[in-house]
Amino acid sequence: MSQQTFLLQPKISEVITNINKVMIGKEEAALLSLVALLAKGHVLLEDVPGVGKTMLVKTLAKSLDCDFKRIQFTPDLLPSDVTGVSIYNPKEMEFEFRPGPILGNVVLADEINRTSPKTQSALLEGMEETSITVDGNTVPLSEPFFVMATQNPIEYEGTYPLPEAQLDRFLLKMKMGYPSAKQEMEMLSRTSGAHPITTISSVLSRDELVGLQKEVEEVYVDTTVNRYIIDLITGTREHDSVYLGVSPRGSISLMKAAKAYAFIHDRDYVVPDDVQYLAPFVLAHRMILTSEARFEGTTAETIIEGLLSSTSIPVKRNIGE
Amino acid sequence: MNEQTNEQPFIYKLTIYVIGFLLFCEWLLPLETITNTDDVSIFFIYAAFCFFVSFLQVQWWISMPLKFIGLAFILDGLYIAERIFSRDWFSVVYDQIIFNIQVIQTQEWWQMTPLFRSLLFLILLWLMSYLLFYWFVVAKRMLIFVVLTLVYVTVIDTFTFYDGKWAIVRTFILAMAALGMSSFAKEMDKESIPSHWFKRVHLWVLPLLGVIVFSTAAAYASPKLSPQWPDPVPYLKSATGGPGPGGSGAAIQKVGYGENDSRLGGSFVQDNTPVFRAMADGDRYWRIESKDTYTGKGWVDSLDQPTNIYDAENLEYKTFTDNVEVEEQTAMIQMNNGATFQKLVYPYGLGSLLRTPSESNFRLHENTGEIDTLRGDSPAKLNNYVVNYEFPSFEYGQLREATGEDPAEIQENYLQLPDSLPSRVQNLASQIVADEDNRYDKAKAVEQYFSSNGFEYSTTDVDVPSENEDYVDQFLFESQLGYCDNYSTSMVVLLRSQGIPARWVKGFTAGERIDSEATEFSEDLQNTYQVTSANAHSWVEVYFPEIGWVPFEPTQGFSNNTDFYSDIDTDSEDPTAGQTGDTPDQNMGNPQEIEEAESNTDTAGGTSSNGSFMWLYILLGLVVITGIILYFTRFRWMSSLLKRRFRKGGSADRYEQAYQFLLKVLAHKGVKRNPEQTLRDYARSVDSHYQTNEMRQLTNHYERMLYRNDHQNMQWNKVTELWENLIKKALS
Repeated sequence: MSQQTFLLQPKISEVITNINKVMIGKEEAALLSLVALLAKGHVLLEDVPGVGKTMLVKTLAKSLDCDFKRIQFTPDLLPSDVTGVSIYNPKEMEFEFRPGPILGNVVLADEINRTSPKTQSALLEGMEETSITVDGNTVPLSEPFFVMATQNPIEYEGTYPLPEAQLDRFLLKMKMGYPSAKQEMEMLSRTSGAHPITTISSVLSRDELVGLQKEVEEVYVDTTVNRYIIDLITGTREHDSVYLGVSPRGSISLMKAAKAYAFIHDRDYVVPDDVQYLAPFVLAHRMILTSEARFEGTTAETIIEGLLSSTSIPVKRNIGE
Repeated sequence: MNEQTNEQPFIYKLTIYVIGFLLFCEWLLPLETITNTDDVSIFFIYAAFCFFVSFLQVQWWISMPLKFIGLAFILDGLYIAERIFSRDWFSVVYDQIIFNIQVIQTQEWWQMTPLFRSLLFLILLWLMSYLLFYWFVVAKRMLIFVVLTLVYVTVIDTFTFYDGKWAIVRTFILAMAALGMSSFAKEMDKESIPSHWFKRVHLWVLPLLGVIVFSTAAAYASPKLSPQWPDPVPYLKSATGGPGPGGSGAAIQKVGYGENDSRLGGSFVQDNTPVFRAMADGDRYWRIESKDTYTGKGWVDSLDQPTNIYDAENLEYKTFTDNVEVEEQTAMIQMNNGATFQKLVYPYGLGSLLRTPSESNFRLHENTGEIDTLRGDSPAKLNNYVVNYEFPSFEYGQLREATGEDPAEIQENYLQLPDSLPSRVQNLASQIVADEDNRYDKAKAVEQYFSSNGFEYSTTDVDVPSENEDYVDQFLFESQLGYCDNYSTSMVVLLRSQGIPARWVKGFTAGERIDSEATEFSEDLQNTYQVTSANAHSWVEVYFPEIGWVPFEPTQGFSNNTDFYSDIDTDSEDPTAGQTGDTPDQNMGNPQEIEEAESNTDTAGGTSSNGSFMWLYILLGLVVITGIILYFTRFRWMSSLLKRRFRKGGSADRYEQAYQFLLKVLAHKGVKRNPEQTLRDYARSVDSHYQTNEMRQLTNHYERMLYRNDHQNMQWNKVTELWENLIKKALS
């Protein structure tokens, strides 16, 4: 899939150019992050430490003129460390709310699976509800609100894997991957002086971002494309190697993500290509494979790949209804 | 796609081109048969020369003079006495050309000289060598020529005397080889296999040979339908008014009425060309003439005279006496336009003719009953006429009791036998009639002798007697296989050898009953009969004193069209008057009943198809061919159809239809879209295949319509242009 062949939406193009000044060879990750951001979703990054997860989020936040917060999840982290606490102010003689990191715009939740489920759910609830409750007070989250959670796949020792219901709340799950040797060479030469992140400035204001999010909602999805989405989702539910297929929330997420993806490509309608491109990222973490399939080494990605190459694309109008 | 496509190995080009030449030879081969060209070998030589020069692919300024010189030498050798390229030579050629051009200008085509015609033909060969080189080697499109060759050979085979049986086989084998090689080359092109792979001969020659040998053998061995319609050659000949079929001489003859019977025998080809239509009250023999002298090989007429000329009203010819009971009847005869013979066809008991053109006269050969139709004094064909006749019914008792003495004249003329007749014929006759005491039963015994005793009816594989063989002897004792002439001649000879006067009669059987309707000539319905060449027939007349000549029907599978009755008891007495009982006598006068079953009164083989079926088949064939052509060119004509509709103005429906059609065309041309491939992705592969970006543009528009549901803002002109370009690219 070469994105270069299609013109990107000008604002988004600026953001990506900005990110590229700092990150090398992470266009896809940047693009997917923007998809999630524009679709008002969140991203789960699964990768080993040190491949640039934090840097990506930081760059993104800086390019967007957004408030960046980071939560390092540890086993002893408490929910209030996420949401914030009310502290008694002896001067004012009342409790004063000290907002936690979740009240930022772009939140990096690092190693989310290393903390207790209680703390996890504090974050995840916020992601879903767009507001949190502290000491009986409902505090709205800031807008835009974008969480990028990371989890470490190899460090299973002392981790609390996210339950299905919570995984479902991430719009996308993606991997960063190691850079190629050439990219890494360039990276070394770039970081020898001052870190490039200090040189970039924001290219998109917060209000502009909110405006873009609104525009994404306007993107048109034809019934033919919806039909295609449903065909894919149904495919996951009927697949032999799948124990639990993708939920309806998955279909909605796929559609939303596709809208954002179409918008990024400066299109006001979704085409099946968008769906095809996003399906592995949107669907893979939403299904549970049978233990036999897992034992055989089948992954959700390969199943989705198979579904994509066996589901026919609608090329005529008025398919279905 | 790549540079190697046009670089085919020499051996491939040579083989393909040689095959092209051989196929072209199939076009030249029939010329000797179907035109009056004496020797076509010179054309072959020139064609080979031209093909060879074309293959060398030398510059035109070398090849043109070469071919021209060849042409000049041929013309010189064939027509021009002067020394070649001398002054006189050129002046002869110049004069000829000027003369012929004048002839052409005045449109007097038949005046064209042979030299000029040959010149034109040689130039045609010259051009063909170019054309085939282009088709086969450059364009690599040989299917058209192969199909044309097959059509040509079949047409020539069907409509002329040229026998294309082996030509078809040769064409088929050559075509298989050529098409196999070319598709192999095309595959290699497509897969970009370097051409040196061609040299791995065993990889492709052996399978190709195997396929050719196998399919040829399978086609040769498999059963084939016999021809589904009558040979159109005699049909066409008669339809165009050529000389009527019949006669003898050739080993295979066309069945029909002929006049020369001096040498009988040999096989017949069935010919269902209609001769005339008759309207009559029942099945009648249509008599033409009788013959009296048997030569041992056939029949000649020694009693041709006397002749008398009558007009229509007074023409009367009866072969029986007034002692025979008769019924006045009327028949109407309508000769087919194609039929050409100028003789009267009439039923027994001819009384008078009606509705003949004025000045019609009839020359009656009193002994044979042959009646020439004349207009004034010269022979002319009589197309329509009505004949009044007295239909005889012979009473069995009367026949059995006819014991009187034969008149001397009869004895003299109708007991003749050749001296060379082997005595075993007479012995056989004595055996057959040994138990019978009267003439009728004897005749009946001989007539029925043929229905058993191993005789077989056939029009094919019938021998012609050799120089010292007797026609009857051969049939009775050796072949026992034959048709009406064999049976009737044998019966006459057998009866004569027993002292019973008999003669050999020719004409037509009743024909195929095709309709029955009310006419002015009869109270009951009359039958309409279609009489074709295949109904030409010969039978026997036996003389009975005081009764006259009585028809007998010895030929297997035929029934006597004469009426016999019994005075005493119609039910019990001798019902076998109509031999083998195919058509009971009671039926004969009963026109209301049209026989459902195929009538055996036809000549054997019972082919009921006639000319009209041929047109049906031709029509059917045309429809099939048109269908095939339409199928193979479907993309072309459909695209121009869509193009025209598109130009009228765009609409979402039309656009969708056109786009889907484009997908089909592309799939047909090898750029197929998988169902799970997105249009964009597909457009990319199409574009890279055709080195363009038009498919992407067109697809963007289509996607906009399909997935955006937006067809208001379509730029139809742009879309149409893109679509047309792509279709053109795909189909080129």
